[in-house]
Amino acid sequence: MLHKFRKGLEISLKGAPEQAILPGNRVASVALFGEDFPAIRTKKTVVEGQRVARGDSLFFDRKRPEIVVTAPVSGIVESIETGPQRRLSVLRIVCEGDEVRTFSAPDSLTRESVTALCLVSGLWPAFLQRPYGRVPDPGMVPDAIFVTAMETDPLSADAHVVIDRHQEAFQRGIAALPLLTDGPVYVCQAPGSNVCDTGNRVQVETFMGAHPAGLAGTHIDRLHPIETRGTVWQIHYQDVTALGNLLQTGTLPGTLVIALSGPGLRQPRLIEAPKGAALTDLVTDELTDGPVKLLSGSPLSGCESSHLRRRNWQVSVLPRTPHVRATRWAKALPRLRPAAAIPTQALTRAIGPDLPTMPLIRALSVGDTETAERMGCRALLEEDLAVASYAAGNGQDFGKMLRRTLDLLELDA
Amino acid sequence: MIRGLWTPTTVGWFLLASAFPVVVALGLEQGVPGLARLGLCLVVVGLWQTAFRVSLAVGFAPASAIGALAVSVIAPTDVALLQVLLAVSFGAVMAELIFGGWGRNFLSAGIAALSFLSLSVPGAVFEPAGPGLALAVLPGAVMLILTGILPVALALAYIAVLGALVLIPGQWVLLSPALGTIAFVLVFLVADPVASATTTMGRTVQGGMSAALLGLLATGTSVPQAAIFAALLAALFAPLIDHGVITLKMQLKRSRRGQS
Repeated sequence: MLHKFRKGLEISLKGAPEQAILPGNRVASVALFGEDFPAIRTKKTVVEGQRVARGDSLFFDRKRPEIVVTAPVSGIVESIETGPQRRLSVLRIVCEGDEVRTFSAPDSLTRESVTALCLVSGLWPAFLQRPYGRVPDPGMVPDAIFVTAMETDPLSADAHVVIDRHQEAFQRGIAALPLLTDGPVYVCQAPGSNVCDTGNRVQVETFMGAHPAGLAGTHIDRLHPIETRGTVWQIHYQDVTALGNLLQTGTLPGTLVIALSGPGLRQPRLIEAPKGAALTDLVTDELTDGPVKLLSGSPLSGCESSHLRRRNWQVSVLPRTPHVRATRWAKALPRLRPAAAIPTQALTRAIGPDLPTMPLIRALSVGDTETAERMGCRALLEEDLAVASYAAGNGQDFGKMLRRTLDLLELDA
Repeated sequence: MIRGLWTPTTVGWFLLASAFPVVVALGLEQGVPGLARLGLCLVVVGLWQTAFRVSLAVGFAPASAIGALAVSVIAPTDVALLQVLLAVSFGAVMAELIFGGWGRNFLSAGIAALSFLSLSVPGAVFEPAGPGLALAVLPGAVMLILTGILPVALALAYIAVLGALVLIPGQWVLLSPALGTIAFVLVFLVADPVASATTTMGRTVQGGMSAALLGLLATGTSVPQAAIFAALLAALFAPLIDHGVITLKMQLKRSRRGQS
């Protein structure tokens, strides 16, 4: 079914990638960040200097020990940094060799066997549960699963190109998803593509419009709203491909396709790179002149990082604006608070789900959890507010504010 | 994270730019004394902004100048300068700065200042301004609509209700000499992007209510004063209107989706 998304903003930036998967640089190291696995109390199973194969367990969740995170490459654990509350901060692996751990694919596909395989291989954290944006409990059954098979973020990859390359694995992954839910599996695609067929509780939905038409939050609001109750999972199409690969060969793919893009690059294009790849390795000898900053993620929602983050399929290289030194006068004055967001047409069009934009943003800005919940913030995740932060342009990150509010709401729930 | 085009500062400068033709009209109409009064009002607003910047870290906002301009354009010329400056100060401080500056206020500084002036100076006669001012308001209004700053639903509802009002016998004679004042009040005070209602439905209600109140009050007092009071009353109801609209919408949505 075709859904027309009438809101959204056309954000034109220079440096759109050539939509072809071309060779990229070799990656020397990868890293995993604890904060990319929210609500997982990490307990590590490796030590520094240990050799790991691709697929070997690195750490697991203290509370739900069946959820493990595995090595995306084979190599040697270089360093493990621990943050507050003995949580994992960052774990770095130097790539070396090509040992792969193979998991035995189940003979018959059932909910239990697919869940078990996803858990042991480390693919389980690919699922993200709404509300609150957590790695779901393995025992839980969601009301629906949303596959995001499109990208509308500026400078992102064309999902169609990527899926075409792994067509068979993607179909296999889609076919396995209905096992995990009693409800429908929505596959949301861009107009002009036909990623898979409808049937067996798989529903293909086409979304047309400007960003954020391609975000799962927009799709969920149209097809299976969860403002007041209900639970849905979302998964990215490349993780579906990984699931298909896992079911067929018993191994997770060693690389994913990322869009290497932005005005700071000489040849923006799609490349294959391992999960958690070091961004400096990816852009070596590729930059234009002048200072740049490397973002893991899109120019709107990405963060400055040394390595590619989980749930990011894009690296944006943007020019770094020089830091303006405060004058002596400005230093003498009290530090300025961020200006308030001004309601404009641009801001009204920035949020995908049909929610009252300004009241929601004002409630989030002042930390009014109750009002924010009434306005429907339960249905949102950080990424859904990235366009609003861009459009408001007052230097506030509404996504971070939403995270704080959601954390409080989750405590109450 | 990158920032978009519509930063608060940009929106503020757009508002100021859209008000520029009005300044020209003011100069043509009142000459040097009018412009001098505007200049003094701006200086006073600037002083208050500096005081709040230094003591409470409230940022400078170019859009605050709209309040000073509104007083200069609409206030009677025979009111004592001190009264005018007092009104401008009241608007800037009590409506805007004590809430944390432009963007966090719930009432436009111009409405607060003009209401203060018309209440505190009983004898003052507010002269209506004619089509000349309306012509000066028009280009700014078009620019604000094109840039998405002016809430269109509100302006349309206001114009629609006003259009219905002038069909009533006697109203056209009453309202037509003050066309310029009404246009200015609509574009720069009623349709204030920050303080007006935020939902489309809420904006429609607020605009319609503002115009209806204008018709109701215009028979008892001068039209400019009626327009200001109508704007004030409607603006005070804006948060309530929004609350009602949002509650209604959420309930409709839930019942449509079959959720409790």
